[in-house]
Amino acid sequence: MIVDLLPSEEQQLIDDSVRALLAERLPVERLRETASHGGAAERAAWGDFVALGLFGIGIAEADGGHGLGAAEEALVARALGRHLVSLSVLAQMAAPHLATDDALRTRLISGETRATFATVVDQGTAQRIDGDNADWLILLGEGVALVDVPAEAAPIACLDETVSLARLDGSFPAFERADSADRISLLLAAYLSGIAQATLDMAVAYAATREQFGQPIGAFQAIKHMCADMAVRGAAAEAQVLHAAVAFGAGLDDRAEVACARLLATDAALRNANANIQIHGAMGFTAECDAHLYLKRARLVSVLGSSRQAEQERLLAGVA
Amino acid sequence: MRIIGTPELTAFRDQCRTWLGENAPAKPWPMDGEALRDFDLAWQRRQYEGGWAGVSWPKDYGGLGLSLLEQLVWHEEYARAGAPQSRSMFVALSHAGPTLIVQGSEAQKQRHLLPILKGEENWCQGFSEPGAGSDLSNLKTRAEIDGESLIVNGTKIWTTYGHLARWQELLVRTDPEAPRHKGISWVICDMRSPGIEVRPIVTMSGIAHFAQVFYDNVRIPLSNVVGGLHNGWKVAMTTLGFERGTGTIAHQYELARTVDELITMARDLPSSDGRGRAIDDGTTATDLATLRAEVMALRSLAAMTISRGLRQAVPGAEGNIAALYYAELTRRVHAAALDLLGPRGLERTGGHDWPLAFLESFKWGIGGGTSEIRRNTIGERVLGLPKGPSAR
Ligand SMILES: Cc1cc2nc3c(=O)[nH]c(=O)nc-3n(C[C@H](O)[C@H](O)[C@H](O)COP(=O)(O)OP(=O)(O)OC[C@H]3O[C@@H](n4cnc5c(N)ncnc54)[C@H](O)[C@@H]3O)c2cc1C
Repeated sequence: MIVDLLPSEEQQLIDDSVRALLAERLPVERLRETASHGGAAERAAWGDFVALGLFGIGIAEADGGHGLGAAEEALVARALGRHLVSLSVLAQMAAPHLATDDALRTRLISGETRATFATVVDQGTAQRIDGDNADWLILLGEGVALVDVPAEAAPIACLDETVSLARLDGSFPAFERADSADRISLLLAAYLSGIAQATLDMAVAYAATREQFGQPIGAFQAIKHMCADMAVRGAAAEAQVLHAAVAFGAGLDDRAEVACARLLATDAALRNANANIQIHGAMGFTAECDAHLYLKRARLVSVLGSSRQAEQERLLAGVA
Repeated sequence: MRIIGTPELTAFRDQCRTWLGENAPAKPWPMDGEALRDFDLAWQRRQYEGGWAGVSWPKDYGGLGLSLLEQLVWHEEYARAGAPQSRSMFVALSHAGPTLIVQGSEAQKQRHLLPILKGEENWCQGFSEPGAGSDLSNLKTRAEIDGESLIVNGTKIWTTYGHLARWQELLVRTDPEAPRHKGISWVICDMRSPGIEVRPIVTMSGIAHFAQVFYDNVRIPLSNVVGGLHNGWKVAMTTLGFERGTGTIAHQYELARTVDELITMARDLPSSDGRGRAIDDGTTATDLATLRAEVMALRSLAAMTISRGLRQAVPGAEGNIAALYYAELTRRVHAAALDLLGPRGLERTGGHDWPLAFLESFKWGIGGGTSEIRRNTIGERVLGLPKGPSAR
């Protein structure tokens, strides 16, 4: 099978317009202010997302969406990752796929009804992410399900302080793995590949300008090669994400393709975020430098309905 | 971003598959010496007679002039059929031939191109020297102009199949006064010329893969200079840029097959403590799953290279990303094979020669540009970081 992994004109247009919106409304610096944490900045930009048609992008036109596919969704998710956009936006893109009745789907696409992710910790506990005013939860475990929000939620401090995390107590049965779970995992992988690219860009920009010993640190091979390895990891993750997205549902082994994308994108995001901190020296260790934000978000996403063990099993199961 | 498919491409794929299915030679193939060369030439001749030689060469020079997509289909089917790699024909088909097509004179093209496609003559590459490896422009092999000839003195090393080749693409210094990159010429060297001595070099895998070539007053007609006197650096660099992602498909398929084979083996082999199967061991499962993910990503990286090739005629330095990824991955895959096999991994028996594949896997991070040089290139030419001393 031959796949073209570069965007068509139409796809490029989508990517450009999402990026332009994010650059204007949601620059990463916003997260230096607590007021924009927990998805607050995204809620303020909600109308723009709706106007762009983001929430129905991959939904068939007959179902009230824009009739595009997993590839376009992945492009959007990648851009969201670059800007560390609240995962509630990604959840809102995923939720219409899970809605079983037309009315709910329509309200999700129009943004009136809100969904967010919750990750299953054990059968009695889940963690809700950026869901301060969510009406529905996408429970992420081995499988996924769209469920009503339980009444009780206890806020809890999170490794990623830019996120609003809440403990939910209830009954969270295990759901079977289904295509919808793979589709969401693919979105999360795309988001992670965006983090891998953003941290590479940030590291390269710093390495090209910061001088020590009379030259830019990027001229030192220890730094240059670290950047090259970041580029390779980022490129591999991105190519795999796009490949899985283009081929999704086309008769390949989707489960293994997505597991591969998720595993490599997680790895690329985490390792690039680490390297980015190192390349920034002490500046990278401070709160005022954005480098830590990528690391924290990558950590958070890495455990959402995924574990290295589970992805590995899906990869190995793919070999006949 | 889409799946590319047309009825024409599907029909073409069927044609390729049918011909390769009926004509690709079965293993085992000779792995060394003249038997290897004769085998490679014969396979090339068969492709020529079947109408399949020179898939990427223009029609004017006897090639098929296929579109990039058709080439891709051919290479995919070639890999799927497990057809032999071009080996001692590689330089002629993928390097010297394409260089002559772009830079050669009409007479040079007339003389050399058809014999390559017909499997009559093969070529080797004489670029590296004992003192000029990564730093190729430091090459010292001297060629003095004497009337209508060049007189060559010096030595080349690591010349793959130099002892088995009929012709050589040779880089020599024709102007020692000029700046490093400006005094070099690209010449066609007849390996049967008087004054040439070829000493095969045995590699760590026990094969006489390459050779050192000595030139003692070797006379080469000036008319064998390609692309202009002292212009050899530019000529050499054009061909290094020819890789558009199709040539590596066979390697990539092979590696994917190897990983699948390892996973299947791990399901059968007993674990080291004898209580279960090797795959039940967490570390083994992790290693194999990671390798499988990486070979899938390698395929996706190649698809990305090809997607770029569909849009731009001259590919950029991004190709180094997939090449570096392959170089590192192939070593890990073959090391994992030995890990999995334990003491059995020491045995060189018939069937799959795992020790040989392991030893061979080291060449990828060295030949054709070391992994360190590739990292420099990615840093400088893909990411735009400031140059160090090694920009090539
Ligand atoms: C299997 C095989 C086949 C080959 N076939 C051919 C052939 O057909 N024709 C031909 O001309 N040549 C051939 N070569 C030679 C090949 O091109 C050279 O080996 C390669 O360019 C490296 O040069 P070198 O071996 O002299 O290593 P060096 O350049 O001496 O490198 C030694 C070490 O130093 C590192 N290093 C060097 N410079 C830098 C730098 N600037 N920054 C960081 N690290 C650096 C290298 O990465 C390497 O680790 C072949 C080599 C192999 C292994």
